[in-house]
Amino acid sequence: MTATSPQSPPPPTPPTSEPTPQPAAAAVPGVRFASPFAVPTPPGAEGWESMYPYYALLSEDRRKDEDARFWFFDGMHNPEPLYPFDTIATENWWVAVSQMSTRVWPIPLAGGIDHRIVNGYLYVSPTAVTDQEQIAARARHFAERAGHYYENWDEIYAGWEAKARDCIERLKAIDFAPLPDLEPLESVTGGRGLYSSYDLLTRYTTLINNFFEMGSYHFEMLNLGYGAYLTFREFCQAAFPGISDQTIASMVSGIDIMLFRPDDEVRKLAALAVELGLDRALLSSEDPDEALAAVAGAGDPGARWLAAFEAAKDPWFWFSTGAGYQHSDRAWIDDLRLPFRALRGYIAGLRAGEDIRRPLEAITEERERVTAEYRSYLPTDEDRESFDGLVALARKVFPFVENHNFYVEHWHHSMFWSKVRSLGRVFVAHGFFDDEEDIFYLHRTEVQSALYDLLIGWGTGIEPRGVTYWRPEIARRRRIREALKAHSPAPALGVPPEFLTEPLTIMLWGITPEAVQDWLGVADSGERVLRGVAASPGRAVGRARVILDPEQLHEVRDGEILVCRITAPSWAPVFSRLAAAVSDVGGIMAHTAIVCREYGLPSVVGTGFATTTVRTGELLEVDGDTGTVRVLEEPEAAEDAGIAAVGA
Amino acid sequence: MTYILWLDSPDSAGDPRLGGKFASLAEMTAAGFTVPGGFGVTTDAYRAFLAAAGLAEQARETRRRARGAGLETVESLSAAMTRAVESAPMPAEVEDAIRGAYAALAERAGDPAAPVAVRSSGESEDLAGASFAGQYHTYLWVSGADQVLAHVRRCWAGMFGPAVLTYRPAAGQEEETDFAICVGVQEMVPARCAGVVFTLDPVTGDRSKVVIEGCWGLGEGVVSGAITPSRFVVDKVTFERVGSSVAVQETMFALDPGTGTTGLVDVPAELREQSCLTDDQIRELAGLAKRIERHRGAAQDIEWALGPDGGLRVLQVRPETVWSNRARERLVSSPARAIDQVVARFAGIGVTRGPGRA
Repeated sequence: MTATSPQSPPPPTPPTSEPTPQPAAAAVPGVRFASPFAVPTPPGAEGWESMYPYYALLSEDRRKDEDARFWFFDGMHNPEPLYPFDTIATENWWVAVSQMSTRVWPIPLAGGIDHRIVNGYLYVSPTAVTDQEQIAARARHFAERAGHYYENWDEIYAGWEAKARDCIERLKAIDFAPLPDLEPLESVTGGRGLYSSYDLLTRYTTLINNFFEMGSYHFEMLNLGYGAYLTFREFCQAAFPGISDQTIASMVSGIDIMLFRPDDEVRKLAALAVELGLDRALLSSEDPDEALAAVAGAGDPGARWLAAFEAAKDPWFWFSTGAGYQHSDRAWIDDLRLPFRALRGYIAGLRAGEDIRRPLEAITEERERVTAEYRSYLPTDEDRESFDGLVALARKVFPFVENHNFYVEHWHHSMFWSKVRSLGRVFVAHGFFDDEEDIFYLHRTEVQSALYDLLIGWGTGIEPRGVTYWRPEIARRRRIREALKAHSPAPALGVPPEFLTEPLTIMLWGITPEAVQDWLGVADSGERVLRGVAASPGRAVGRARVILDPEQLHEVRDGEILVCRITAPSWAPVFSRLAAAVSDVGGIMAHTAIVCREYGLPSVVGTGFATTTVRTGELLEVDGDTGTVRVLEEPEAAEDAGIAAVGA
Repeated sequence: MTYILWLDSPDSAGDPRLGGKFASLAEMTAAGFTVPGGFGVTTDAYRAFLAAAGLAEQARETRRRARGAGLETVESLSAAMTRAVESAPMPAEVEDAIRGAYAALAERAGDPAAPVAVRSSGESEDLAGASFAGQYHTYLWVSGADQVLAHVRRCWAGMFGPAVLTYRPAAGQEEETDFAICVGVQEMVPARCAGVVFTLDPVTGDRSKVVIEGCWGLGEGVVSGAITPSRFVVDKVTFERVGSSVAVQETMFALDPGTGTTGLVDVPAELREQSCLTDDQIRELAGLAKRIERHRGAAQDIEWALGPDGGLRVLQVRPETVWSNRARERLVSSPARAIDQVVARFAGIGVTRGPGRA
């Protein structure tokens, strides 16, 4: 029926073209979003459902529930239509996040988060627990289980880091190679009785299991981390009404966290290059390979620098240009243009006599000053005691909250996608695909089947079915995906929620009752003011540069305002050129808001509509204090777009 | 006897003979804050005047009789005493001292008829209530020594207005019948915009905020409530703007060239919808308020003006009284142990504001 049973071909008639038994509800401004059943299939994308497993699709059988829920587009992790293989990441957290809320802790007020794929885009729906008896029963378990984690946090976190590193080491060890014409002699004389076919098959299983293993660790402590932070945040909001989210975060967030390391490593490499007199060589070409060749030709100093470069690369260049949830989020290690661009910038800065080091001491001092000063404005000793306890707990949990992102999404997932590519090369070698990237058009269960097909062909010596089956199917899926990509998804579908209690929903996606109301109102007003979460303070005016694909980052010019579905920390090198950043999705703790604040860039996140409302070249005013983005004027002329940057 | 004390004289800071308002301004001046230059006609001068005119006894008697009397009696006592103060001769040494001081101020300003503000400055803190009753006066754009003398007298007479006579200090405090007044004379600041700034949020009592109210023209509009001011809330720690509402302003208090006195005039059309303070000025003002609070060691309520040169001036500082006098209540009612608080939060028991801070 579907992608999960590749033995049968995709159904010829896509489900959406069947007549629906009842009309689906349209959007009503201020009241509700369109029913997910009312979303039309874009022309040319007919049959998109066949790319995804049956359980991820809307169905008439579950329509009553699906129609009654609130769904929001998870553009934060998956801004683009999902590649079938990439659903491994979304399906992982579908279970991994939900099970923590429902079965592991359980979280008193929050149930699981359900998923559906609509036109290739991932929509998610948080569940609130509202029955008082249920809440009380869950709270008793939660107090005991979460209490254990909080009490032993540092120890558990140390164990977590060890598990994460071990998981990554095992991932690193997985190798895929085309099957040999003839088994090597050792595999016969060794008497193992297992051959390349078995190894290929089991390595794939190991690879998939490895992803789910890290995927489980990912959420082991995350909700608790966010919960401790949320409690501190709410304390501050009650004590200091109007205090901004970035200020609260600044009292807690780490200074020497792993997310800053990649950029710090580039700064160090820049300093070393200047010290060794290699600056000229590194500035000689914008092509990283040519620049590296120039360094390699520079004798001993060149060799010294290259050694430092290699050491920095692993792990710090396993740094994704996106959220890490999609294989297309390429890491620095795959595309050295980004770190090299930053490297050239730092070298130029050093040559101009600038101090490019991050002022760690000053940042630490400022954090202490801010914390102590707010504390001094509390009215009683009891309040100060509460404040001290909450800030200490929030700081205790934050290393995990911040660093898990590097371990999981950057280091592990980037490496995972590169391993999948190497399996793609095996399929290319055996004539299944033209390109290693084609593997991502298959769901992971289809890959398992195709792999067995490949083993059959290798075993029998007869051409496997896949050699003729997959090329046209991949071509079809590519066309469908292109058609889906041309249509931006609505930020939300269905019925606005009565309760929003799920901590991740609030903290990570910035989905608050206010945001939902804004979306409901703005959806039809055609107004050119966008509201979102004030993620980083300050105000700026500049020309918009809408970036939908990290590949386009090279188009960014000085003084422009970046408008994207989500900003990624690894985009850091372009941040120094920007006047401000605006995103469709994200809350105050979105993986990237942290870095935005670090770079002192005015930023509004979670606007819902920026990439669909704003066009490149329009003059924007971004107010990072109030979370508003205003379109001041249309682009003057297409060729002027971006050149007439204000404040450059 | 010292009849004149200059604000910028090092000995003036906190001198009780300057009254509360001017003693504070002298202290601000000494601490390096920008206060419009001027002098106080001291309580000594006031007492010398009453004594020379033979009015000291009448003043005490008036106060004594007004206590607990009916309104009609109070009004007639007030009228008689006011007439006496306004018509009695001023001792020559007092008049000479005031004329001399004004001449010196005018010379500093480079204008023999330099416009000044003449303001009452009560001796006793207990009289704060009287200023609210509107019996303490501020006269603006007073020009020339004769006018200054006339307005000093008016301020003295203001001590016997019906509201001052019937004002009762807080229970348990000794009633005073012999208090005096200082009259301050300061360079006039032809404010581009002006207003008040609080070093806490007067609505919530939140001490991490600076709240600025301001309008185009002189600050009288804000102080009297005649003009709806623009309002800016600034975080005292980070100086982020956390709230603002810019009021559309049609009229402002300023010098009316036709009458030569302060009046309501039209705000220039291009300024009506514009914020009276720029982002930088808001930040500067918040910083100034924070420094003043730190210097004075308690929450303050400050009158400010932005001069034609764009420089900020401190016109008045006084301790905030509403929240500072209220018993300190626990802000948040929640268990002290952080882990318990977090666990409770997950179960839906959030951090809530304690009683009294709704």
